[in-house]
Amino acid sequence: MSPETIRSLVKPSAYQDSVTLLLLARQLRSGPGVVEAAALMATPSNRDLLEQSGLLTAEAAKAGSNDLVIAVRAESAAAAAVALAESEAFLGAKRKRLEDSGRALPRTLESARRHLPGANLALISVPGAFAALEAKKALRLGLHVMLFSDNVGLEDEVALKGLAVQKGLLMMGPDCGTAILNGVPLGFANAVPRGRIGLVSASGTGLQQVTALLASQGEGVSQAIGVGGRDLSEAVGGLMTFQALDALAADPTTEIIVMIGKPPAPAVRARVEARLRAAGKPCVLALLGQGVKEGRDATVHAVATLEDAAWAALAMLEGRPYIPQPFSIPAMELRECVEEFCRALRREDGAVRALYAGGTLAHEAVLILEPLLGPIATNLRPGSGGRHRVTDLGADEYTVGRAHPMLDATVRVEEIRKAAQDPDVAVILLDVVLGHGAAPDPAGDVAAAIEAARATAKMAGRGLAVVASVIGTAGDPQDLAAQCARLEAAGVWVLPSNAQAVRAAACIAGGEPVLARLLEGRP
Amino acid sequence: MKDSLGRTIRVLRMGRSTRERLNGAPREAGEVHSAYARTLNLLWHDGRLLTLHGPGPLLAPFAAAVDHLPGGLGPGMRAWREGEKIRLGPFLLGWEQGAAVETRLRPEEDGARLLLTVLASSRPAPPAAGLFSPGGRTAQRRLDHGIRERDARAFVEGAAGLIGLGEGLTPAGDDCLVGALAVLSRHAATWLAEHAEVRTALASASERGTTTLGREFLLHALGGSFSEPILRLIQARSAAEAVEGIEDLGRMGASSGADTLWGMRLALEALSP
Repeated sequence: MSPETIRSLVKPSAYQDSVTLLLLARQLRSGPGVVEAAALMATPSNRDLLEQSGLLTAEAAKAGSNDLVIAVRAESAAAAAVALAESEAFLGAKRKRLEDSGRALPRTLESARRHLPGANLALISVPGAFAALEAKKALRLGLHVMLFSDNVGLEDEVALKGLAVQKGLLMMGPDCGTAILNGVPLGFANAVPRGRIGLVSASGTGLQQVTALLASQGEGVSQAIGVGGRDLSEAVGGLMTFQALDALAADPTTEIIVMIGKPPAPAVRARVEARLRAAGKPCVLALLGQGVKEGRDATVHAVATLEDAAWAALAMLEGRPYIPQPFSIPAMELRECVEEFCRALRREDGAVRALYAGGTLAHEAVLILEPLLGPIATNLRPGSGGRHRVTDLGADEYTVGRAHPMLDATVRVEEIRKAAQDPDVAVILLDVVLGHGAAPDPAGDVAAAIEAARATAKMAGRGLAVVASVIGTAGDPQDLAAQCARLEAAGVWVLPSNAQAVRAAACIAGGEPVLARLLEGRP
Repeated sequence: MKDSLGRTIRVLRMGRSTRERLNGAPREAGEVHSAYARTLNLLWHDGRLLTLHGPGPLLAPFAAAVDHLPGGLGPGMRAWREGEKIRLGPFLLGWEQGAAVETRLRPEEDGARLLLTVLASSRPAPPAAGLFSPGGRTAQRRLDHGIRERDARAFVEGAAGLIGLGEGLTPAGDDCLVGALAVLSRHAATWLAEHAEVRTALASASERGTTTLGREFLLHALGGSFSEPILRLIQARSAAEAVEGIEDLGRMGASSGADTLWGMRLALEALSP
């Protein structure tokens, strides 16, 4: 049963404009212990919206179309009461606040620029249809752009990046979720120290995994530049990748360059490799795709996983060779863990059900699992099939009308429940992503569901193993150690990287043959 | 007209129908519905709203622009007819010298392309997030289909899904629908006239489906009446007029103007061959 409390405040015949209601909802959501909040007129359509968001109380359900509903879902009744009391104060103080400040909140890029003349970057997150227009406006104002929005047309992306190149600006995105510039995390990013490694990435969670692993070893980031998932396509031609690589090549604080993405179009790939070689600095190239070969020439080290990218970069900094290892724990200890989980399953083998919040982490899971366990069914590759399944819960089909799973665990909790009821599922594989912008307690959000899932399986006479990696750092607001401890208390085997978690899941599902193959270093 | 106490309020502009409603007011003319810094909404004796705001274009088809807005009035305060004036507490509202303007849209089959071209290349503020909820997207798709295929049932289903949806004083979905209805009243008036069931169904859906203010805008839109910023934009004769109209409309409300422009664009695209 959920311990959360839902409370609402109905203000009859109270009209407030959109800006006020949005600001109020945002303030409520940021309050201590508040999980979700909304402030809307209680029309039937909006009551439906509240119900879909799990915010409809009996009081709100009875409210009329001319009534304002402020609804809060919180971790406790006290937190909900505080939030509602603050909403009253917010509405009461709104007019006075604006009058006292002598200015209105900026509603356009131009007015925001006037309020903050020193700004040199615009972070844009508006519906796709308008995102390109806002980004163009920002570039014309001489601002670098991080375009969080998706649903931006390919032609618009090419035009925006062309304009950015002309102006010598960064155009990060569209669909760019993560960047760290001059030590400032933007979007979903982890708290990492400043350092000597510069990154260019077409993947948000990929960038988070690599930077978090570097931070775990005390190494930091000079700049981490997102370019958007389509930048290396033939149509876009790597316009922003090249711009970012040039910036890192010229940056005196960057000693090593790491590039992360999926394999580019062939025509683009040759240019990328040429540009990396011309950068004048050692480079690590992590292109996650089937058929991508690992290897090293004079300056470019190609690796197969995100974890390898981090460790290869560190090895380069320290001037030592890097040899990939499947696990960071000793073989004996690994074998004991796997055998213990296998015994608990009470069967020979079973299916892996991977439920991912991070798209690139899911993609990496498919690439690692398929050679070990055979065909994988996944929503990342339409038409795929197989006993084992990897699901990217951040894909459009799961996020229409709801927040991304890095923010809202509702869909993942439901999928965990379903997986527990499937007698063929032996292993649930998860990623838990921490950092700025992520949910306040991602491990807590799934821990109860995991405990329930394991209990369900046990009652059915089966075992159920749950394996996870936590993408985060000690400096993240969620407290990495506490998040790992929460998962371990729920019986989860927590591994230090996604790649290792995937391999561990494969070992449990595939048993001794897979374990032996990995330990012997056979591909 | 101002009396020595400065308590006479003069109507400067009003819609023709608003003048008729003022002229036809009985002794118990109505009461204050809601009062804000820039607008005063009166619940008129006919059960509909009549809005007063400061000088300038009529921001609602049921509005009257007055020389100054009375302060200190609150919901429930009665409005009384006194001869050719309306008494609102200590204030007297006079309208006899105010200009009556046409708020009904003139149908015209041509001209949609100009507006669509300008709208498509303009940069209005983003519409409210509520329009992009699952329900909002579904409703817009259905509305688009209804207009594109001249399918009255689909249009009503889409419109009903938008009514009362989203943020704001007038919910975003209402503003979006008003924008779409403005385009249809201008460029597909015959189709709308042939399908009286659309008006009936949407008038009924708005009765409990949205706020009183949102409903007022919808009912007027269904009757072909719109605010002056909408009228000016949709009747623009040149690209320059259209650009100016988009800017004016885009400034309305927190997101009302942007939501209306969004609905206009949806309808224009659906009407385009």
